[in-house]
Amino acid sequence: MKGGDESLRIGIPRALLYYYYAPFWKPFFEELGVEVVISDETNKGIVNRGVREAVSEICVPIKIFIGHSLNLLRKGVDYIFVPRMVSISPLEFFCPKFMGLPDMLRHGVNKLEDKILTCQIQSMDDDISDYRLYLPLADILGVTEEQMKESAAKAREEWLAFRMYSKMGHTIPEALNLVENIPISKRKEASHPAIKIGVLGYVYNIYDSFVSMDVIEKLRDLQVSFITFDMLEEQDLKNEIQDIRKPLFWTFTNKLLGAGYRFFSNREVDGVIHITAFGCGPDSMLSKLFEIRSNETGVPFMMIRVDEHTGENHLQTRIEAFVDMLKRKKRVG
Amino acid sequence: MNVTFPYMGTVIIYKKLLELLGHHVIVPPRPSQKTLDLGVKYSPEFACFPFKTIMGSYIEACELGATTIVTSGGHGPCRAGFYSEIHQRILKELGYNVDFIVFDSYFRDKERFMENVRKLKGNYSWFHVAKAIKFTFDMIRELDKLDRWIHRIKPYEKVPGLTKKVWEEIQQQFDQVTTRRELKKARKKGKKMIESIPLQEIDHEKRIRIGIVGEIYVVMEPSINMEIENVLGELGCEVERSHYLSEWINDNMLPRFLKHSDEEEILKKGEPFIEIEIGGHAKHTVGRIVDFKEKGFDGIIHLMPFGCLPELISQSVIPRISKEYDIPVLTLSLDEQTGQANNRTRIEAFIDLIRNTKLKKYTYTA
Ligand code: SF4
Repeated sequence: MKGGDESLRIGIPRALLYYYYAPFWKPFFEELGVEVVISDETNKGIVNRGVREAVSEICVPIKIFIGHSLNLLRKGVDYIFVPRMVSISPLEFFCPKFMGLPDMLRHGVNKLEDKILTCQIQSMDDDISDYRLYLPLADILGVTEEQMKESAAKAREEWLAFRMYSKMGHTIPEALNLVENIPISKRKEASHPAIKIGVLGYVYNIYDSFVSMDVIEKLRDLQVSFITFDMLEEQDLKNEIQDIRKPLFWTFTNKLLGAGYRFFSNREVDGVIHITAFGCGPDSMLSKLFEIRSNETGVPFMMIRVDEHTGENHLQTRIEAFVDMLKRKKRVG
Repeated sequence: MNVTFPYMGTVIIYKKLLELLGHHVIVPPRPSQKTLDLGVKYSPEFACFPFKTIMGSYIEACELGATTIVTSGGHGPCRAGFYSEIHQRILKELGYNVDFIVFDSYFRDKERFMENVRKLKGNYSWFHVAKAIKFTFDMIRELDKLDRWIHRIKPYEKVPGLTKKVWEEIQQQFDQVTTRRELKKARKKGKKMIESIPLQEIDHEKRIRIGIVGEIYVVMEPSINMEIENVLGELGCEVERSHYLSEWINDNMLPRFLKHSDEEEILKKGEPFIEIEIGGHAKHTVGRIVDFKEKGFDGIIHLMPFGCLPELISQSVIPRISKEYDIPVLTLSLDEQTGQANNRTRIEAFIDLIRNTKLKKYTYTA
């Protein structure tokens, strides 16, 4: 379904919810006939640029997002797509920084003022493919409502496939490749991994290999299998926290909470690691809840906080020590 | 039950209301270094500054024998709405046996709200409860009026420190009040006391007016914001805050048809910079900056707790507002380690700058 302004180039920052929604947004815009440009993989330069432009106290993932936006600007895109993520679950919201992200880029970062393409995302569940959410973009893209509707429906299929791959146990980078028919490299992990770890963290922290310094590969090297929240059914995550009088306000934080509670209670894992980025507000609450639950259940728990200067060695050592401990515990217990 | 509450602003109000409902009230000590130390020790490292202060406050209150904590839950989506849940768990881990009565927005969970009211109401009639609420609300309104007045005249006092003393006395007077008649008397007396403070004459053009905006807790609680209103007063500035308790109650607790509020208008003014409500007081903060400018204020001090999610968005867009509206803004981010001396120097420099530009303008046009 082409029809849009073909000379238009729209950038999508490879940051934040790119790791969850790119399989919808990218095909959606492409179906509409505009060129989509994705920013480079996170690297030192991108991080530094973000750090320079952002207010100093803001969390690392947002700084990185700003870096990616500037990377796109350099690539000469016409617009950078920064949706205002408000809510994808009744009575829950995104962290305030997601909700104010377009404002922040538009008024807070030099040269981006006229470059931000935004619309408000508000839906009842994870599926954000309702074309009506994107109607405010129609004029700029030069497309009709009908075209949007069709493109959204097609893109939705891709996103659903992507989610399905995740739930089959693939990591998000793997799932991203699979939907694009890019073969994924053979896994290194042993056929009988000794232990299994629940890895908790937002997709943009765990799966951005620069940010997490490839925690996941490190675990694989250590013959550890793992499971993350995105591999679980949304409904299961919800059920886990049903009994809490007042769940957290933030959807993805709640997903992590649900996954964490499940890992702690049903013993499918030997230990839990929470990866959090420096300056994350919601996580300061979340980690405390995990800590308390770990004390209650006796399932070992470790929190790793990453920032723009965390040393790789340090991380390696901590993970190795944790894994060693779990292995020892398992042999004894 | 021995009831306590989080310490913020003019605390005699919460005390009064709970007393009128027949409770034994334990007023937590004014936050001190000890409070902060306790709070920091038992809070998650990256919790907000207000969270930590309140944590410390709760522990102190529990030590004093509090068995029930009454607080508001807030409706997010910033961390404030979840404070009480975590506070509760931490206190339990520490071995304190204390109940929480958390008032979430009435609309989030009506039943729970009413259940809470019933818990606090005891055997009193609904009529009595309504009267008590109305009474405290009127009281806080009167106090807030005097509070504003105090900080308008403070820079011109002839006897240094007198205004502050008067304000403390006024609060003590109000603390004794239990009937409407007494309230009226206290109000009159308060007015008289303020009127009798000797003041210097100062040209209208030379007056400097500073608006304080930002996150509610650090804006309203002098013990953790370096008593910023006093500091500014001593530097010769009139001060008005963006939050007063009476307004907060007005905007958050009263049904729509009962209130007269400029809240909406202020949010409108913030809209070009932050389009929607993103939690905390971010949009309010930017709206207030515009509002203060329109009312002729000369500068703004923006207070935020270190790492406060919504206020970080305000902070990001403030340079643009400041430029567009030609109003100087100083952001101060506060936490348990904020050097008071350091902040004080920054405030002084900021006021100097405002004074100089103003003086230049003034002498130029004159
Ligand atoms: S408004 Fe700021 S300080 Fe208050 S809870 Fe929210 S994030 Fe924390």
